[in-house]
Amino acid sequence: MLHDWKEMNVLRRDFVVREPLLVVILVLITIVFSTLTHAYSRAYDRRRNQLGQQWFAEGNAELQKNKPAAAVDAFRTSLIYDSRNWDYRLHLAEALSQVGQTRQALNYYQSLWQLNPKNGVVNLHLAEFAVRSGQVADAERYFSGAIFGDWPNNSADHRREALFELINFYLQRGDTGQAESQLIILSANLPEDPVLHSRVADLYAHVGDYQRALDQYRRAFHLDPKYFPALFGAGEAAFHVGDYHAAETYLTRASHEDAAGPEVKNLLQITQAASALNPFERGLRESEKIQRVLRSFQIASGRLDACSSRSGGSLPSKLAPLQQRRNQWKPNANPRYLSRHPDQIDPLFVIATEIEKQSQSVCGEPAAEDSALLALANSHPLDEK
Amino acid sequence: MSTPDTTLNPASPSSDSFVAAADAFRRRITAQLSFDEDRFFLILAVFIGIFAGLAVVCFRITMEWVRLYLLGSTLNPPPLRAFLAPCLTGLLISLLIFTIFKGAAGSGLNQTKAALYIFDGYIPFRTVIGKFITASLAIGSGHSLGPEDPALQIGAGLASAVGTRLKLSRKKMRLLAPVGAAAGLAAAFNAPISAVLFVIEEVIGHWSAGILGAIVLAAVSSVVTMRLFLGAEPLFRIPSVGVIRWQELVAYAVLGILGGIASVVFSKAIGWLRPKVKETPMTLQVLYPGIAGLLIGLIAVAGFPQVMGAGYDFMDLAMHDQYTWEILGLLAGLKILATTLSFVSGTPGGMFAPTLYIGAMLGGAVGTVEHNFFPYLTGSVGTYALVGMGVLFAGFLRAPITSVFMALEVSGDYSIILPVLVANTFSYLISRRLQAAPVLEVLTRLDGLSLPAMEEKREEETLNVEDAMSPRPSIVLDGDKSPAEAWPFVSHTAEPFFLVSLPNQPPAQISFGELRHLVEADDHRPLRETQAISPVPYLHPDEDLEDALPLATRHSFIPVVNRADLSQILGVLDLGDVMEAYRKSHEEFPAPY
Repeated sequence: MLHDWKEMNVLRRDFVVREPLLVVILVLITIVFSTLTHAYSRAYDRRRNQLGQQWFAEGNAELQKNKPAAAVDAFRTSLIYDSRNWDYRLHLAEALSQVGQTRQALNYYQSLWQLNPKNGVVNLHLAEFAVRSGQVADAERYFSGAIFGDWPNNSADHRREALFELINFYLQRGDTGQAESQLIILSANLPEDPVLHSRVADLYAHVGDYQRALDQYRRAFHLDPKYFPALFGAGEAAFHVGDYHAAETYLTRASHEDAAGPEVKNLLQITQAASALNPFERGLRESEKIQRVLRSFQIASGRLDACSSRSGGSLPSKLAPLQQRRNQWKPNANPRYLSRHPDQIDPLFVIATEIEKQSQSVCGEPAAEDSALLALANSHPLDEK
Repeated sequence: MSTPDTTLNPASPSSDSFVAAADAFRRRITAQLSFDEDRFFLILAVFIGIFAGLAVVCFRITMEWVRLYLLGSTLNPPPLRAFLAPCLTGLLISLLIFTIFKGAAGSGLNQTKAALYIFDGYIPFRTVIGKFITASLAIGSGHSLGPEDPALQIGAGLASAVGTRLKLSRKKMRLLAPVGAAAGLAAAFNAPISAVLFVIEEVIGHWSAGILGAIVLAAVSSVVTMRLFLGAEPLFRIPSVGVIRWQELVAYAVLGILGGIASVVFSKAIGWLRPKVKETPMTLQVLYPGIAGLLIGLIAVAGFPQVMGAGYDFMDLAMHDQYTWEILGLLAGLKILATTLSFVSGTPGGMFAPTLYIGAMLGGAVGTVEHNFFPYLTGSVGTYALVGMGVLFAGFLRAPITSVFMALEVSGDYSIILPVLVANTFSYLISRRLQAAPVLEVLTRLDGLSLPAMEEKREEETLNVEDAMSPRPSIVLDGDKSPAEAWPFVSHTAEPFFLVSLPNQPPAQISFGELRHLVEADDHRPLRETQAISPVPYLHPDEDLEDALPLATRHSFIPVVNRADLSQILGVLDLGDVMEAYRKSHEEFPAPY
């Protein structure tokens, strides 16, 4: 019996003492080894981080030295030490782009996009790749990601630049409707910056919306009255919408700026000529209008004659019918006839502008007055009948 | 437990009833308090997982330190270092293996299997230390080997050390080695499911519910431990798989074929060179790790440092489409060469990582070619590289189940399963066709060992009762009939026993003698009411023949009955039927090698 009790005590010790004791010993061993491993791994982590940063800095230095191939190696090495580091991967992708390894760069950008689809930088890069490869849907998707995405700093500026790129993309594709829609969105949120207003105005001018372009140029030079691109752009835009007096004013102001080149003076001359020849000017008396139309006919006839003499007395075939019509009109091209037949004023002007249009491609560079007539023809399309 | 306190006092006066009660209590408490090895085994599995995880963390860090010191911190080491480091370190490793750590050579996988099947799961702790040091040196210095197989052995070795210290039974010691192996592999590959499957598929060779829980616990705890220290990042960044078009399955099939051929080339190269190396004098064998290192250094200096070490960084680059297909193909070929050299020289290190590397490069090459020639197919090169890894795993290591789950676990994307299945099937079939014995079996034989062939075990034909049973006997007596009515059916036969069918019950049996006795006694009761019938064990058609064998040895015949209706006799089975079925099965399906 006593023996049995001893046996039971041993068993109880096994259960109450041995198993818990073993667990406690194993826990203690775990703690000791974990502490040692922690110290070991911390030392290694420090070294890894240090090496990662060192190689990242090396890569950036190589990029600054314009050695993207060396930068690629350095960034790849930095990724060994911190494969998840966003900056390392982004810089590697950028360096790969610079080396011309676009597919490899694209792959990194795509993997970054998978990690953070809202990142503006990555979206913009991917949009640029899509533009280059002509993938319109992808380009729009990534541009949209860049415009509405997260940016590390100056997010408004970056988003605006992304929108500018999207507009340029549409313009390159000839999709002026989409470009203009985006321009309207862009111009509604512009800060008070003459450069930005002027850039937007340029784009409006590019899509042919000169009135909106003029508005933006005006905003630009209101912010900086001496900002040459805005003055010149406003002059051009006003010229295109047919407001020659305003154009003359802006171009005159632009011509006084240091940045003004010969193109300003040329346009000013044309504008002044257009202003002088414009038969559609509001409040113009009929006699004055007749004078201007007759003067226009004279200029156009002179252009036709000059063209004929330049080509040895014979006009190019496409101008021959116009010459015939000019000759038919010639006897009636006088103030007396036109005063009696005011309904013939516009058809005479149409003949003048038609001669200018047709001779534009075959008779060499037009003079300022010829260009003015062309501009007038474009801004006031008329029917001879 | 409401027994009075007096029962616990051995000094108290005793009476008969008191003694009996005390004795009963003692027996009960004895049963409850005994040290339960099974219960403690699961707790131990968790600790083994933690220890293996810690060991693998230290192992990986040591390997990286060695690489930093020997090869420098650049992705592509400077030529002089690349040339000298593997050679000189190879010589040092050789010295260590031939003097101090004699059991540390090789990958560790076969050694673990040998420990499991030959030494009852015992792995000397010196081997663990030796494997840790020599494998760190080898892989860190640029030998073309991987850390997973050594980690597997280190885990198994740690488990063995703990089990030995706790004086566990031989049975538990045998179970402990695979537990540690799974923990080591899981931590090294950061993929617990794949590790568990690999150990079951390649180390244990069969599914065993008894050990599965412990293996899973150990694998999970080791991965958790490892991630605490090294982070949860996978070994490589997997690009998203995306939509896979059906046309791409053709490319994946091509990848499977190429992978199968590459697996065979790799296996044959090792199988051809290894015996030649082993035949040479010992003095020359000492030099082989150094010579292998020298040749790997030459490959690196020739412009392909990517073949050095485990190569995970380069797999990552391949996955991110950073190489042309020509370079990828060349790297796959050179890696086969470099790994063959390192491995046959006896340098410690595994083949797990090189296998994945070769697969990733082949996959990347196929993916890049597809991109170049069929740009409208949008599958990413990374997906091809990932599938390629599985392909080599299926073809070279012949672990088809692990290969599928590995791709799933690493990518975390189930849309990859179809290309993985297509490619792995081609690879596995080609490899089996062109190379009968898997490389691990070849190595086992070359080492002079006889370990169970896992592929053979895995694919062993399982026979069921229905494969062996004879048709329903012509004479089955009706239990509702009287002995006199039953007698005419049996009187002319020489059978000693007859089955008696009983309504809604399994059949019983009656002997010829008993029936005759009942007839002579003029017993008019139905047979089922007599004491002469006796119960007989029964089987179902789908039961394993292996399970039926013990019954067949004890009974002259066993009825096979329907699971839904136990009274319905489908056939009978006797020992002769069982033996005949096994004989036929062996003739029909001989071992593949």
